[in-house]
Parts: sequence; C-alpha cells; structure tokens
Amino acid sequence: MKETGLGEFEEVILLLVGILAEEAYAFRLAEEFESQTKRSVSIGAVHSSLSRLEDKGFLTSEMGASTASRGGRRKRIYSITAAGERALQSAKDFRVSLWSQYPQLSFVGILNQ
Amino acid sequence: MNDPRPPKLAEKLLLRFIKEDLAEEVLGDLDEKYYSVLEKHPKKANRNYWYQVLNYIRPFALKKTKSKYSKLTIMFNNNFKVAWRSMKRQKMYSAIKIGGFSIGIMVCLLILLYINDDLSYDQQYQEKHRVYRLVNHMNDPTDTERWTSFSPAIKKVLESDYPEIETVGRLIPFDWFNGGNNQMRPEGQDIITYEEGFMYADPELLDILEVQMVYGSTENALSNPKSILISEDKASKYFPGENPIGKTIILNEDTAAHYTIGGVMKNFPKNSHLQTDFLLTLVGEEFWPGEQSSWCCSNYNTYLRLYDGSNPTQLESKLLSIRDNHLVPHFRQRGNLWADELEKFYSIELQGVTDIHLRSTDIHSEFSKGDITMVWLFGIIAIIVLALASINFINLSTAKSANRAKEVGLRKVIGSGKSTLVFQFLTESILYSLVSFILAIILAVILLPYFNIIAEKSLSIPFLEWWFIPLIIASAVIIGVISGVYPAFYLTAFKPLSVLRGDTSRGSKSAGLRSVLVVFQFTASILLIIGAVVVNEQMNYITRKKVGFDKDQILIIHGTNTLGQKAESFKNEIKQLSSVEEVSYSNSLPVEGTMRNNNQFWIEGTSTTKEGVGAQIWGVDEDYVKTMGFKVVMGKDFDPTLTTGNPILINQTMAKELGVEDPIGVLVTNKFEPPYRIVGVIEDFHYETMRDEILSLCLRLQGGNSLAAVRFNPQNVDETLSKATEIWEQFAPNQAIRYSFMDEKFNAMYKDVQRTSRIFNIFSILAVFVACTGLFGLSGFMAEQRRKEISIRKVLGASVHSIFRLLSSNFIRLVLISFVIAAPIGYHYLEKWLEDFEYRIPLSWGFIAMAGGIGLLVALITVSFESLKAGFQNPVQGLRSE
Repeated sequence: MKETGLGEFEEVILLLVGILAEEAYAFRLAEEFESQTKRSVSIGAVHSSLSRLEDKGFLTSEMGASTASRGGRRKRIYSITAAGERALQSAKDFRVSLWSQYPQLSFVGILNQ
Repeated sequence: MNDPRPPKLAEKLLLRFIKEDLAEEVLGDLDEKYYSVLEKHPKKANRNYWYQVLNYIRPFALKKTKSKYSKLTIMFNNNFKVAWRSMKRQKMYSAIKIGGFSIGIMVCLLILLYINDDLSYDQQYQEKHRVYRLVNHMNDPTDTERWTSFSPAIKKVLESDYPEIETVGRLIPFDWFNGGNNQMRPEGQDIITYEEGFMYADPELLDILEVQMVYGSTENALSNPKSILISEDKASKYFPGENPIGKTIILNEDTAAHYTIGGVMKNFPKNSHLQTDFLLTLVGEEFWPGEQSSWCCSNYNTYLRLYDGSNPTQLESKLLSIRDNHLVPHFRQRGNLWADELEKFYSIELQGVTDIHLRSTDIHSEFSKGDITMVWLFGIIAIIVLALASINFINLSTAKSANRAKEVGLRKVIGSGKSTLVFQFLTESILYSLVSFILAIILAVILLPYFNIIAEKSLSIPFLEWWFIPLIIASAVIIGVISGVYPAFYLTAFKPLSVLRGDTSRGSKSAGLRSVLVVFQFTASILLIIGAVVVNEQMNYITRKKVGFDKDQILIIHGTNTLGQKAESFKNEIKQLSSVEEVSYSNSLPVEGTMRNNNQFWIEGTSTTKEGVGAQIWGVDEDYVKTMGFKVVMGKDFDPTLTTGNPILINQTMAKELGVEDPIGVLVTNKFEPPYRIVGVIEDFHYETMRDEILSLCLRLQGGNSLAAVRFNPQNVDETLSKATEIWEQFAPNQAIRYSFMDEKFNAMYKDVQRTSRIFNIFSILAVFVACTGLFGLSGFMAEQRRKEISIRKVLGASVHSIFRLLSSNFIRLVLISFVIAAPIGYHYLEKWLEDFEYRIPLSWGFIAMAGGIGLLVALITVSFESLKAGFQNPVQGLRSE
C-alpha cells in the first residue's frame, strides 16, 4: 500500500507534470513549484522526487529537444501514466470523501473565535 | 569581458558524483537555472549554482560504487567492526595499547624531525658535490689534530698549481681586525649599534657558496677594496625600503674602518653552516706588510670548487706539495722545529661542504656544529621507544588471548580458515596503529613548540609535503603488521575443540616469551635511566667545578674600545661605585666569545734548538689578576709602577712546558715582539670548556681594552647595573650599554651538552613511561587471571602482604634480570662518553645502582597498584560467580 501512496510534495509535482505537459522537465517544474507555492525548492529535490515517482510507475520520461540556453543539452520530459492519473484521482477522491464527512459547524466555530 | 559561465569547479564536482546517464539533463537544467538567476540577481547566480549542485547529492543521483558489494570489502568491514568492538569492550587495555603506541610514535616523529633537520644542513647548493673545505690534519699518533685555518698565501698557489680547482675563496670567520663583533653606524646616522658576526671573505666565496643576492651581483659585491656585503635583514634594519648600494658603514668610530656597501644578500638559510650578516672584502686587505704572501700565521678558512669530474682523493695527495714546497721550507728557514713535525705528520684534507655540519666534531672551527653520533643516538632512542610500545601491544594481546579464544574457536567451527583469521587480527592491530598515529600526530603538534624551545630548533611538521601523509599511512600499516603478526598467529593457533570445551587458561602459556619481552623493555629503560643519571651528574660537575676564578661576581661591559681616550676615566668612575671592587680592561676573558690566539714561545736563545711552547697571549691591564681572582703561586702580580721591560704572567701549565725550575725572571720570546720577562706564575684556571685540557697561557700588559670586567658585590646587582649604565650614558650617549654576566657566559659554553642532556632526559622518561604502562597492563591481567586463586587464599587466611608478594615477585625478578643485563652495557658506553671530557666524574657503580634502584622502584609502584587492589578486594567478589 505504502508503495503506491502519494506524499504531499509528490502529489503537487505530479499535478505540475500534468499542467506543464510538454514543458515538464526538472528545471521548469521547480520554477513552477516555486511560483505556485511560494516555497523555494532545489532542482535536485524535484529531480529526486520525479525519479521516485517514475520508479512507482506514475511517470514515464523520455529525452526531449535541446535549446541554446542549456548549452545544447537535451532535457528529460516527464509525462503522467495511467497509473499516475489513477493515483491522483484516488488522492483527490480520498480528500473529497474526508471533506464530505467534515462537520460544517466547526467552520462557524473557527470563524467565531 | 567573457560572458558569465556557471562555475567550473561546481560543474566538475557534479560530474564526479552524478550518474553518467543523468549528467546531460542535470547539467542542462542547472544551466537554465543559472542563466535565469543571472538575469534577475547577477550576484547570486554563482552561489545558487553551488547550492543546486550540492542539492544533487542525493542517493538516487549518485554513482554506484561497485566495490561496496565485493566479498573482500564485506569481510574487511566485518573485521573492522569486530576490531572496533573488542577495542571498546576492553577500555583499559585498549587505552594502554593505544596510549603507549602513540607516545612511542610521537617520540619517533619528533626525533625524526630533529634528525631530518640536522641532515638537511648545506644541502642547498646546486654544485654541492664539488664544493669542499680544506682541513689541516696533523696525524701525530699521540695527538691527532684537525683544524681549518690556513696561511694567506695558499690561495694563489691553489689557483695556479692545481688545474682541477675551479675557484678558491677564503673566509675569516672570527675576531680579527674588523671581523667579529663591532659597534657600527651608517654614515649620516648618529646611533651606534652593536652587531655580531662580521667576517672577511674573498669575492670568489660568494660564487662558491652560491650566495643569493637581493641587490648587486656576486661578481661585483666585494670586488672593490673596503666594500661590505650585508644581509637582507640588516639592510631593512638600517636602510628600510631603499637600495643601500654605495652607502657607507663606519665601524667602531674608526676612520680607517669606513666600508662601502657593495651589495645585499639574502639571509643565509637556517640550515647553512655559515651564518653571517656582514661580509667584509679581502680585496686590497693586507693586515701587516707582506701578510698576504706569507706562509706564517694561519687565519684563513679555505673553500674550493673543483671542476666536474675531478678526483678529490687524488687532489689531496697532490696537495702534499704545498707542505713540501712552502710550509716546511718556511719554518725550516726560520729554524723552527715545527718543520720536522709537519714533514712527518701533516696533510691537507678536502671536506665536502655537506659534511661540515655533522662531521666536524674533532675539527677546531668557529661554526656551531651538530654531531653525527648524536643523530645516531637519538635515532636509536626513537627505535627503542617504538619497540617498547610495540612490545606492549604484543604482550597485552597475547595475555588477553583467553578472552578472544572462544571467538576464534567458534569462527573456526563455522569454517573460517587460518589465513582469514590472521587477516582479521592483523586488521585489528592496524586499526590500533592507525588510531595511535592520529593521536601521536595530534600530540606532536601540541608538544612541538616546547620541543623546539628545548632543542633550540624551529622544526615544523611537514603536513604539506606530498610524501608526508602517504609515509604516515604506510608506517602505520607496517608498524601495525609488525606488532600484530605474532599475536595474530598465536591467537589463530587455538584448537577449536579444546577452546570450546572450556580450556581457557590460555593466556599464561606464552608467559615465557612475554617475560623475555619484559626483560628487553626494562633493560632498555634502565640503560636510558643510567645514561640520564650519569649525564646529569657530569653536567652538574662541570657547572659547579671550581674553575680557578670568581665567575659569579663579574659583570662584563662590552665594546669599551669605542670610548677611545675616555676609557681610563670611565674605568675610574666605575671604580668609584660603592659596590664595585675591581675593574679591569682586556680583550680576553675565560669564557667563550672573547679573543683567542696562538703563539709559539721559546726561552730566549733556544728557538733553533728546541720546539716552541704553543700558548695564548692575552692583552690585559694591571688589575686583571685581582679582578678575576686568580691566585699568584710564584713571583708577583703586575706592578703598576713597573711597566717597562715587558713583564708577563704565565700559568702553571706554561711554566711546566717551558721546563725551567724557577721561571721568575726568565726571558721568553715569540719572535714578533721584544722578549718578555716572566714576573709571576698564576694558578691554572679553565678558560675553555671542560672537554679541553688547560693549555699554556700568558698575560701581558698591553693591547686589550674591548672588555671591561667589573668585579662587584653580588648583594646589589640591580643598583650596580643601573649606576654603571648611567655612567656609560655620560661617556657614550649614542651607544647603548652592552653587558653580560660572566657566570651566564660561562654556562652558555655548555649549552650544547646541556641541551643534549635535557633531550636525553625527556626521552628516557617517556621510554620508561611506555614500558611501565605495559607492565601495568600485564600486572592487571595477572591479577585478573588469578582472581579466584587469590580469593580462596584470602578465605584461607592469606594476608594482603603475602598476596602482594605473590603477584609482584615475578615482575620484580624480571626487572632485576634486566638490571643485571643493563648495568655492564651502560657502564661500557658511559665510560666511553666520559672519556671525551678532560675533567670528568669517576664512573662509579653507585650511579648504576642508583639507576637500577630508580628502575626497580618505578616498576614496583606500577605493579603494586593492581597487586594491592587484588589483595584488598573482598574474596566474595571473586568467588560468587559460577
């Protein structure tokens, strides 16, 4: 069970891979993560997470085109697999089901404080 | 400007650790990051790149190291782990092993640094293999002698008659006209300063000794008459920040001693036998008419550089022609019988420049020297201490084998082969050795400054040399293997069956070998103790021996010759001081560093029929004998009212050598001055070190005023000093007073012996300490082994006393055996050492017994700690298990 679970950071990365589509490679993902979450992250941390997700079978990757700004080096483009989609979906469903059980009243309680 | 690029070093680092198949994409990503940061915050780009690189040090991205999985490494790791655990389990024994080891290694390291420094002397010359110093050798079978000064005329002969000689350069390294110590000032400045070590040199010497120049050139610096070459240090002291070539230096306020600076040389390296800051040229110097072409009067040290490929031994035999064609005729012509001696025994030797520092102990010369025998002695001590520490390791390892026997048995049952077990135990001893080396280096770093003070060196640990770290690791492994090899084979020889059955009385089986090793340890220790005791006694004897004058109450004021005409009134003023008893001017005092000379004396009229008596002649004034406290044994002291007729005083040795019954009134001559009349004989006193015999000496009444000896009442030293300083300042306002105390100067003469004895003491103590830690460990082990036996004995009524005796008697016996072996060896070598001293203590067996006593006492104290602990323990503690 653990093997297919998603951590919070992993979930965000997985989502970002989906959002960026053709542009989903480590540097862009890290930039996107920083701008969306306002948290700083190193490319190495993102890369490490990507390779873990690939091991779990949520991502596949292939070498893409190169550009001048990378000194002519190719980039590794990640894309979500069906299993990855499923994992995201189930994570979302899990939250939604939790939210549906959450008592509405406590919002008031929190607001009143 | 180039466009900014990601830092190369960081890229390199990344490529080092990252998996090959990730390299391309990662480098690309990081480049993009770099340029995007560069746009926004150009200054942060580099730092960020580093940050990103370091953040790639994550398991997923790292290269896989294959060796991690090899069988050998697994085994090695396991060995290592086992070794580490056994080290931790037995804290005390590990501490003794490692502590002893690291002290041994530290001693070795310090000694090696010391030796290395001594051996590095004069290695800096590129052409050192063809640079030589000439040495006179008088091979008289009764009294062989070697010295380095030659006649001035030798230079021309060497240059013209011997084709294999490329260059000849002479040097006068002692007090001689303006050589030696001077009061100097640069022209145009007022302050007069005292400087030491002026030497005269030929310009060629700069080339031969490859003197490095800061300003000027070796060819021109000394080529003009009255030129002087000064060192970088002194140039920046007197002429800060400028090129002083062409400036004038005035010595001793003497109009004839104006020298023009012809160049500035780099300071001589610390490990050069020649140390000087001022070289005066010999060009155009003639110290008296005809001096330069004469064969009398040896004052010149002579250096040669030969042509490549010439044979020094052949040259030596050719040099005999100097004796036959020049020296012998010179003396024969003057009817001097010295000529016969020369003809029979004299030769000239070539000494390689690299041998000057360490192989000149029997050569009279002015340079400070090391001693190759000391290098050997210290080397031997280093090896002994290391051996003591290794023996501790062997003894404790085999003694504690019982604890490891089960482990070995079990390993063997499981199928471990003997070689893997040996390998395991060797790993263990190498681990010990490595840990000890690290500790030893830390210790050495801490102690080096103190060692430098004691040894008067400036040694440093050469961490940065490429060979240092590999050498240390290699020695750690080698020493680990040497000390581990016996225990390893011993431990692995156990038969698994007997061990596992419970036969664990193993430790005592190798007792025979252990005893031998303990005896060796204590023999070495007692030898060192004997050495230390005798060396100390001899030192005390020398420094306390009555020397024939009152060295304790004499203040020496230096440089009084610069007072010129005012000297006499200065003397009178000093004499007025209430605490001052006597004052006397002279050039020579019975301590090192004052003027010495050598003359031949004959009783008037016998110079053609008899050999002369070699003697010093010191210029003094009429108060000298009173001031120094010499005893007049025959005739009278100088009479101040009767200064005509050349009166001299001679010492007892000279009276004996002249061979006349009553020397008073006898006329003697050295053939330079009119004859002297002997007016009195003074008691012999030591004016050289105690290594040397007291030689003939006479005192005459003229020509010495560079030193004022002030005999004072020792009760108010400070007051005397401050008053004398006041008076000095009135007489010489531009010149600081320079004074010393005779007893300090006297003690300084024995500095090298004292230094040697101090180093010897320290290393002996350390050696004994190392041996004792081993004994301590062993005694502890024995007490532990016999714990049950002791407990039962106590239950049956044995006293602490008897248990103590039971446990310690064996060790004491071993120490006694060691003493019996050490005593004659020590006696033999110390007798030899003492033979070097003309005045020495008798070597009595008392000293040796005392040293043995010390050794025994130390051993007893060491052993008694564990023995008493065993004796006092409650027997229940030892019996309740099982």
